Amino acid sequence: MDIKFVVNKKPYTLNVDPRERLIDVLRNRIGLMGTKEGCGEGECGACTVIIDGKTVNSCLLLAAQADGCDITTIEGVGNRRSPHPVQKAFVEVGAVQCGFCTPGMVLSAKNLLDKITHPSDQEIGIAMSGNLCRCTGYDKILRAVKRVAEEGDV
Amino acid sequence: MKYFQPRSVSEAVELARTTESSFLAGGTDLVLHMQTGKVQPKALIDLGKIAKLREIIEAEDYLEIGSMATFAEIGQSNLVSQNAFALWQACQTMGSPQIRNKATLGGNLGNCSPAADGLPPLLALGAEVHLITREGEEIIPLASLLISTPLVPQDTLIRGFRIPRKGLQSGFAKLGRRQALAIARLSVAVAIEVKGKQVGKVSVALGAVGRRAFLSETLGLALSGQELNEAWIEKGVEEVQRVVRIALGDRASAPYKRVAVAGVFREAVASFIPEGGSMV
Repeated sequence: MDIKFVVNKKPYTLNVDPRERLIDVLRNRIGLMGTKEGCGEGECGACTVIIDGKTVNSCLLLAAQADGCDITTIEGVGNRRSPHPVQKAFVEVGAVQCGFCTPGMVLSAKNLLDKITHPSDQEIGIAMSGNLCRCTGYDKILRAVKRVAEEGDV
Repeated sequence: MKYFQPRSVSEAVELARTTESSFLAGGTDLVLHMQTGKVQPKALIDLGKIAKLREIIEAEDYLEIGSMATFAEIGQSNLVSQNAFALWQACQTMGSPQIRNKATLGGNLGNCSPAADGLPPLLALGAEVHLITREGEEIIPLASLLISTPLVPQDTLIRGFRIPRKGLQSGFAKLGRRQALAIARLSVAVAIEVKGKQVGKVSVALGAVGRRAFLSETLGLALSGQELNEAWIEKGVEEVQRVVRIALGDRASAPYKRVAVAGVFREAVASFIPEGGSMV
């Protein structure tokens, strides 16, 4: 079946098998490898992408369900030359160890800050609760998000 | 596999009748089951493009929540927090933000996991299910629907839920291994009719203590029509432990759950009973 969506502001028309998950289409068809598959069952949040302003697990979504949607992956958030304020804060605070969870973490944080410029600690905690990290112990991740929240320059 | 994306309820129902297909709601369970091979649908009818199914509407006597309203949408709805507080609470804590953005209340019923977070609050609040069957529209109490297996025939669409607007006080609590992303090990929803210092009718529903969530008649009878005080809570704790003991029998989790349910029950009633037990 043919589907159309926009990924990181670029329109795509793709012929997909209706069984294909969004994560597989993003990684294998479009080549956006920043979206990671951790658990593959919606527990870890490494596969988080933003669809129409909402974070979702791309491993629990068929590509067909995203037909007509606007998708943002980590590649659309920032890059080495001009990192997003959240990415900058992650680097400065040291919120990255192995890095596997980082794309999902950054997207959850970005989406929160897009909606609430100065979120409370509790709001940050809830927004980040769907992303697991097995290295950092979360403290530095939350500190990085808080730093951006306090500066409010997203 | 075929994939349909109908734009209207009638189109969806027509497709279900003429093809051997499964309805796809948010997909947070179904996509996973397809991935693991647990289910292999011949065709899917994606309900995601039918705007009408997402609506939360206030009618005179009831609140109607469309089957495709997501947990996030229900958890952000003032109408729901005013009319169905226990459901609103359950929607805050189900899964994670990512899952709440996709998972729907209709899908929660369709998938019908023993631990489905949405069902105990709906049961306690006396919700009815709005179905579209081969014969036409049907409104059936959720408690009655949960007795049938399969839940509904393949071509029956879960259109939405009707929650009576009776001004009930309600609360929900669950026990998970951690706060976010945990599948409920045990959940309790309580709804009470308050008449001054008295409680009128009481409904208690339990999740994850059986094959499906259920409304406990025993608890309703034991706790209705009494003064609302500390003793009432203690009686509730004692009774709910007895019900859980009977429901679980000698299952491995029984010794744990029968003790744990005391705390979960206390938490569920805490939202509408201030500390000390007496009502304001």
